[in-house]
Amino acid sequence: MPLVKVNGIAVEVPPGTNMIEAAKKVGVEIPHYCYHPHLSVAGNCRMCLVDVEAGGRGPDIACNMAATEGLAIRTDTPKVTQMRKSVMEFLLVNHPLDCPICDQSGECRLQDYYMEYGQHDSRLADAKMGKGKRQDIGDQIVLDAERCVQCSRCVRFSDEVTGTGELRLFNRSNQTQIGIFPGVRLSHQYQGNLADICPVGALTLKDFRFKKRVWWLKESESVCGGCATGCNTLVHHQDNEVYRFTPRRNDEVNKSWICDQGRLSYKDVTSLKRLTGAKVNGQRAELPEAANAAAMLLKGAKVGVVFGAKATTEANWAAVKLVRARLPSARAYVIEGNDPDAFTYQDEILVDSDKTPNRFGAALTASQLGSVGDAEALKAALAAGEIDALLVLQDDVIGRLGIAAPKALVYVGTFKNATATAAAVVLPAAHSIEQAGTWINRQGRVQRLRKTVAPAGDSVADYSAVDAIGRAFGGAVIPEMPAAIFQELAAGVKALNGLTLKGLGHGGQLITLSAPSAGADQPGQAAPAK
Amino acid sequence: MKPGVYEIPLGTPMMDLLNKWCGGLRPGRKLKAIIPGGSSVPVMTPAEVEQANMDYESINKVAGSYLGSGGFIVMDDTTDMVDALTNLLRFYAHESCGQCTPCREGSAWMYNILCRLRDGLATEDDLVALRDLADNIHSRTICFFGASAAMPVQSFVTKFRDEFVARVESARAGLPAGLAVAK
Ligand code: SF4
Ligand code: SF4
Ligand code: SF4
Ligand code: FES
Repeated sequence: MPLVKVNGIAVEVPPGTNMIEAAKKVGVEIPHYCYHPHLSVAGNCRMCLVDVEAGGRGPDIACNMAATEGLAIRTDTPKVTQMRKSVMEFLLVNHPLDCPICDQSGECRLQDYYMEYGQHDSRLADAKMGKGKRQDIGDQIVLDAERCVQCSRCVRFSDEVTGTGELRLFNRSNQTQIGIFPGVRLSHQYQGNLADICPVGALTLKDFRFKKRVWWLKESESVCGGCATGCNTLVHHQDNEVYRFTPRRNDEVNKSWICDQGRLSYKDVTSLKRLTGAKVNGQRAELPEAANAAAMLLKGAKVGVVFGAKATTEANWAAVKLVRARLPSARAYVIEGNDPDAFTYQDEILVDSDKTPNRFGAALTASQLGSVGDAEALKAALAAGEIDALLVLQDDVIGRLGIAAPKALVYVGTFKNATATAAAVVLPAAHSIEQAGTWINRQGRVQRLRKTVAPAGDSVADYSAVDAIGRAFGGAVIPEMPAAIFQELAAGVKALNGLTLKGLGHGGQLITLSAPSAGADQPGQAAPAK
Repeated sequence: MKPGVYEIPLGTPMMDLLNKWCGGLRPGRKLKAIIPGGSSVPVMTPAEVEQANMDYESINKVAGSYLGSGGFIVMDDTTDMVDALTNLLRFYAHESCGQCTPCREGSAWMYNILCRLRDGLATEDDLVALRDLADNIHSRTICFFGASAAMPVQSFVTKFRDEFVARVESARAGLPAGLAVAK
């Protein structure tokens, strides 16, 4: 690996590493607008100009400099300071400085870099170029061409990521203007990412416009539950209220992107479809009371447990423990397919056809109980009277299979659906951003959920809801703390052996899932190579 | 003037080219400046022209300029250097592809300043800014067009500084564009 130097600090990086990234490794921030780690290099903003000490001719742009043995750059010279200041001056010449009414304010690179590298008195005596403001260019996006710094990130995103190519920089000279081809509208499923990658307030998300000044928002790590991809996200919230989801970089999963469906799914958190209180026979009840009712229903019954591909692995594990401790003759089921209200879109970029975030987690845990039945098996068993009670985790079995609900139906779930309506007992589960836990995505990557805001209403972590039933039977079935539950889970399920909650880190841990025939704790399907 | 196509050896003295081959200036006119390589290179003063030969090294050594495209622009004493530079920058401001920041914003900004200078609306600060902007464009762009726009500005305002200062002074004195303050 070539040894390069940044401000005299030596660092070894893989050959060809971009010098912005190499500098980051030694803690040196090189300011940039046009460079983006997941787009091609354009080299047009010139903000990343650095001095080259050895291995090239300088000044040159770091974003287009590949690490080669002996390359040495400096960012701490007066020349570099002057160059950055000058680029800032040029960028602001035709900039409207809308900050008071601009949604980017607070997360704007023009603002940030001006404070850090700009700080010049204005020398502008000529009129600014006026350009098109408030252009409605898509379902999710508003364009303000005046605020654009012509970095072409959005153009490259449209060409390289979605392949839809709607955006261009039109005209030339200082008349250059970002725009959309005549008669075209953004209609792809990744529009929100344009607002994310636009370093300024030129492309803003309609949904977030004028909602919140970003400096009030806290960011917490999470994972999107919209489909099996499990895109890494940030939850932006204040005072227990969620304002938006944005992508969190994970090069192995979602790069820097999320789909619009996932982005806007923050609205589900407060949607009227939430189950916010426990219910017994349609009547509101306290959670322990409902858990008691559930235990009564399941006790001595011929129980089927439907493991949930939308529930956390921990909740599914709690169900395993509950069965082992109290319902030894229960049968396990995992039902393939999606809930009836799931969105149908899918593509090769991110969105999977499987709209559940934890199919593997459900299968891995269910298989701890021996054989796992599918939809047909469940239908047959119900019809034959081999089971007469159901415990269902986060799965709309009734809506999906169109079957008559058994009288003894206990539902642990986050949202209202046919199953919740038909259930004799409902235990409200927290939304995935309201609780800790893990999901295993389509690659077999175990990823961590965190409690970012308080659970709505009386809802509790889905594993706690299952555990409540255990307590009603006479004793907790899982430990209380998420890390301890995971520890137990990791020890109990072969594929998870050796993992710890903390060890999952920010990007999750890949596990090996072998073919269904190979052992008892298989999810029934090998991880796709994606 | 002797229009035609000639082939002359590199190293021919520039004055020979001007007087012998091209037939010299119009009667009664004095040489003021030559841009030796299209318009994109530093301008040369008469003193520099007298010392320089028509080759890359000599022109660079004597005047810090280049042969460039080899197209000569000869200006006599009737040429107003502020007007001439404004005209050049009108081209560069219009022709910038607009891809990279310094050239896109800088070429048009320099042109705007020059227009005000030409029209008697510019100040001392504008003159400083003009030179600064050119320095801030040169060698910092994707392609050489940025430097091409910068070099005429840098050389004009240095080598013909008096004319630029005179415009600022007449503007300050409130004189109409083109009238100079009496010395
Ligand atoms: S893009 Fe940035 S600098 Fe421009 S108006 Fe918005 S917040 Fe202000
Ligand atoms: S709209 Fe934003 S992303 Fe697109 S070129 Fe302009 S500044 Fe860059
Ligand atoms: S310097 Fe090059 S890239 Fe920049 S505008 Fe000019 S021609 Fe285009
Ligand atoms: S980040 Fe290198 S030129 Fe824009």
